[in-house]
Amino acid sequence: MNEEETENFVPDKKPDPQPKETERREFIAKAVSIVAGGAIVSIPIGTGLATLVAPLFKEGQGGVKIRLASVEDLPLGGPPKLYQVVAERTDAWTKYPEKPLGSVFLRRKQGGEIEAFNSSCPHAGCSVGYRSKEDEYYCPCHESIFNLDGSRGDPCVSPRGLDSLEVDEERLGEGDVWVTFRNFAAGIEEKKAI
Amino acid sequence: MRRFFAWVDDRTGIAKLTREALFESVPGGARWRYVWGSTLSFAIMVQFITGIFLWMAYSPSATTAWESVYFIQNEMTLGWLLRGIHHWTAQIMVILLVLHLVQVVIDSAYRAPREFNFWFGVILLFITLAISLTGYLLPWDQKGFWATKVATNLAGIIPFIGDDLQKIIVGGSDYGHHTLTRFFALHAGVLPGALVALVVVHIYLFRRHGITEAKPATRASALYYWSLLGFVFGTLTILAFVFEDATKQWVPRSICGVFLAIAARIFFLVFRGKDDDSAARPKRDGMFWPDQILKDAIACVAVMAAVLFFVFRQGTGLTPPADPSQPYNAARPDWYFMSLFQMLKFSAFEGAVGLVIGAIVVPSTLVTALFLMPLIGKSKTGHWINVTMLYGLIGGFLILTAMGFNHDANDAEYKQGVANAHTEADRLKELISIKGGIPPEGALTLVYEDPKIRGARLYAAHCSSCHPHGGKDGMGGEVKEPSAPDLKGVGSKEWIAGLLDHEGYVGPKYFGNTKFRKGKMADHLLDLDMLPEEIEAVSAALAYEAKVYGYSTPEGGQELIDSGFDLMFEDLECSDCHGIDGEDEGSGPSLTGYMSRDWMVRFIGDPTHDDFYGKKNDRMPSFLVAMQEDGNMSDGELSREEVELIVGWLREEWPRADGKVR
Ligand code: HEC
Ligand code: HEC
Repeated sequence: MNEEETENFVPDKKPDPQPKETERREFIAKAVSIVAGGAIVSIPIGTGLATLVAPLFKEGQGGVKIRLASVEDLPLGGPPKLYQVVAERTDAWTKYPEKPLGSVFLRRKQGGEIEAFNSSCPHAGCSVGYRSKEDEYYCPCHESIFNLDGSRGDPCVSPRGLDSLEVDEERLGEGDVWVTFRNFAAGIEEKKAI
Repeated sequence: MRRFFAWVDDRTGIAKLTREALFESVPGGARWRYVWGSTLSFAIMVQFITGIFLWMAYSPSATTAWESVYFIQNEMTLGWLLRGIHHWTAQIMVILLVLHLVQVVIDSAYRAPREFNFWFGVILLFITLAISLTGYLLPWDQKGFWATKVATNLAGIIPFIGDDLQKIIVGGSDYGHHTLTRFFALHAGVLPGALVALVVVHIYLFRRHGITEAKPATRASALYYWSLLGFVFGTLTILAFVFEDATKQWVPRSICGVFLAIAARIFFLVFRGKDDDSAARPKRDGMFWPDQILKDAIACVAVMAAVLFFVFRQGTGLTPPADPSQPYNAARPDWYFMSLFQMLKFSAFEGAVGLVIGAIVVPSTLVTALFLMPLIGKSKTGHWINVTMLYGLIGGFLILTAMGFNHDANDAEYKQGVANAHTEADRLKELISIKGGIPPEGALTLVYEDPKIRGARLYAAHCSSCHPHGGKDGMGGEVKEPSAPDLKGVGSKEWIAGLLDHEGYVGPKYFGNTKFRKGKMADHLLDLDMLPEEIEAVSAALAYEAKVYGYSTPEGGQELIDSGFDLMFEDLECSDCHGIDGEDEGSGPSLTGYMSRDWMVRFIGDPTHDDFYGKKNDRMPSFLVAMQEDGNMSDGELSREEVELIVGWLREEWPRADGKVR
């Protein structure tokens, strides 16, 4: 059967007295079927997609404020020291009592100021190390060098320098180093918390 | 654009395919009774869509299944709706399957050349039931766990292969991780795969043979069809009203509504039928698109509306996490297996052999009969036999199901079990929000560490044989013969005041059912005949020792408490027999720290210790092993931790949303 025939389908047994009327009815039938069908199919699909993309609209868990060391642990003008960040964390339904989240380089500068860097490389998330001989940070994955102040060294394929972390000034006065630990999106120029 | 479509069409033949799919002619015109197949396809599609999205959030293991479903239901954006649609569509699918089967049989659509398609359809019915059965376990909650245990045990009784079969299904002899992984693979992989393959064949065969033209819609055939519908709903209405208290009010009412509508239609057919146009439908053929599709679409809208109605009205339950050590006496199979469950209660199916007959022989006979229908239905009489058989089956199914629900509605233990599951599930939800999540070991640890849930369970199991709790067993159940003090509100000022009144002391709420009804204390209380002020002061003093949850300094303030202690030491001579305030001596139980947490733990641990009842102890068992010199006790019938949980529950000391425990 060809399309012509179907489109102007006319009952074959008895001639239709009002072809216009039939056409209109058929149009309404088609429209209603499509609208109704679309609506009911979109309910499960829409609900599913909503659950799927929900993470886009959820705030990250933000930073974790944690005490890493006392000021005395860090020699004045000395080399950076690496500290592991272990804290409570929730993963969907599970709440882990204590879970390693990452690590932080701490250094007390000549002036006494404390500098904190997330040890995760802003390039691709590898773990950055400290080389005492060269007195610089070094990422072994793609051989990037970062200066002691965190800026990009030479060579360096990372789009930005090491990510500094906030140090609580008030607590420093009490002799403790509290850092707000965060992770940042890797591979982009902008320092964007995740 | 046109050329692109032309190219795609040329390479795939898609246009022809769609044309064939849509422009199929429907002999005798589009009919409502043809919609069931389409609504089923729609339901299957909904299940696939929602199922795949649920899959993205579900984690099949004994310590994460319940937890991930909890997360879907309570935390995930719109997760409750996703799960609700999946759950309720599954229920409605079973009904649609039966309606489809009824329509096929009535229209004798199983006759040659369509036998194979009928058989495929029946297999599809069973695959769907298997998918439902496996899905029931996946949330790994008490309800699914215990119901599935029953189902797999039934598989275990199949002669010869049962044992091995059960082990294969369960993934070992115990239920655990592998039961879930296996059920999940069946539920989301194997069975849906088979379903799709068979549906494709089913629809292909259906298209090959075309729709079975229902008998031209004469008044007589319409009458026949409607009276059958009337029969089904009539039975349903009667059952619904007979067992009214069994169901929620709106169930019998809505069923009755449907029945009245059908009755009206029949009435119309009988009395106005002669000039009823619809009864003498034009015999012209219709087109699948849009004539039949419009009807299908409207039916599918109705299905979706019904699903959403249930999602919003009934919600989608989740009982507490599966706990093999905590039997769930409200375990029931899903409603469509209720009839089988009910049948097994008949005395005809008693004993091992009876069970095999009831759970295996009878169902397989029925299935065989179903399969034989196309062969039986070759003749006109055969067809009538089939129709009668089908209605007999449905009638039996309805009656058994109604009996099952009716039994449950009148079963106090069942109702209590359901109620407890609700309260425990609510409590668990509260706990999870208090703790900000579920520990990695799973939600069951929360249940086990919670005095409110676990303390009550332990009390019901170990204490309620003697001690009632507000007249009940701690979990809402009845106590047979209370023979020891009622411990509800123990340690509160009111509870202690009741004890100090002689009437109360020898009454059933306190020591009336123990040998101390005629003890020294009873005599002393009778002699003293304390004034209300004295009782007020002394109970304030002892409640101060106890400090149960909700304790607050009484109206009389510290003065009242002090005067209570003074009275005990002097006028009332309590200290003659009782150790008070650390001055231990006398024949009566120590009142130092009376009903405090420590006092209670030590008392329950060993009431025969000299600090308490000593040799005079009535029947109260020592739940920990005898107290040593240093006051230490090792685990006995209960562990120290369990005693602490019971005490925590009695003292109502459990974590609360406002952060308070004590
Ligand atoms: C076999 C019966 C029996 C069982 C089981 C039993 N008790 Fe007792 N309980 C008694 C009796 C009788 C007394 C009265 C004092 C006595 O004989 O030591 C008592 C007394 C007590 C008292 C203090 C007396 C008072 O003022 O009410 C507490 C508290 C108590 N029981 C708690 C428990 C707890 C908790 C459990 C369960 C772990 C339990 N009992 C199980 C029989 C029992
Ligand atoms: C003649 C000695 C004697 C005196 C005086 C006495 N008691 Fe008792 N009391 C007992 C004995 C003995 C028991 C244990 C039950 C028994 O053997 O009758 C007891 C039981 C109790 C209990 C229940 C303990 C439990 O297991 O819950 C309380 C409370 C109590 N006495 C408080 C008092 C107070 C308050 C006074 C002062 C008004 C007092 N008693 C005076 C001997 C005495």
